[in-house]
Amino acid sequence: MDKEYVLRIPAKVEGLDLILAFVSYLLDLNGCSGKARTQLRTAVEEIYVNQTLYAYPEGDGWAEMRGSVENDAATFTLIDGGTPFDPLAKADPDILLSGEERGIGGLGIFLVKTTMDEMKYEYRDGCNRLMMRRRLHDDP
Amino acid sequence: MTLTTDKNGTNLTVHLSGELNTLTAPELTALLNKELGGVKELTLDFAECDYVSSAGLRVLLATYKQMKAAGGDIKLANVGENFRDVLKNTGLDAVFGF
Repeated sequence: MDKEYVLRIPAKVEGLDLILAFVSYLLDLNGCSGKARTQLRTAVEEIYVNQTLYAYPEGDGWAEMRGSVENDAATFTLIDGGTPFDPLAKADPDILLSGEERGIGGLGIFLVKTTMDEMKYEYRDGCNRLMMRRRLHDDP
Repeated sequence: MTLTTDKNGTNLTVHLSGELNTLTAPELTALLNKELGGVKELTLDFAECDYVSSAGLRVLLATYKQMKAAGGDIKLANVGENFRDVLKNTGLDAVFGF
């Protein structure tokens, strides 16, 4: 694996700009395509915001984002020491419903699932670990 | 995010510039809450906004429901490739007529 970059901050939604700047830096450093850049940034936003909402119901906590690029694919892993919670276990929304029939939420994690090449959740050593991976360039 | 508006009778156009994400979506909600009274046709112009996360989609869906319930209409204009992918992946392309 190439160099791994690590950003550890308080798990607050206000830290999103910092998280996205971290992701953008790593992707721009490696010549990521525009489409993959947008999809990876969106995926990280959805996962991070979700984590700030559910990981620490009792109070403050930390969030650590790890990022690396290998074989023209970026891997980001969000780690926290909060309540065990697997966001990937959530049921997918019915995207065939009309606008009037739909709820207005529930699309974030689904959006991540549709755009990443690989995702994996595990709870290990007292921490939630959510990994997402996507190629930097799609096949022509 | 920068939001600018053009109002012509009961038509309102909102031009979005920047990223519509978790931190900026409340700005759009606040503007729409302030400006939507009496509006029959709302156009959201995405010519300078091609990053929309689920927080933005929530605002769009809530506004869609609000406009339809009041007998009005909502249109998305100048949708870029990345935002179009998001709409397609979430089935909202059919809702917003793409």
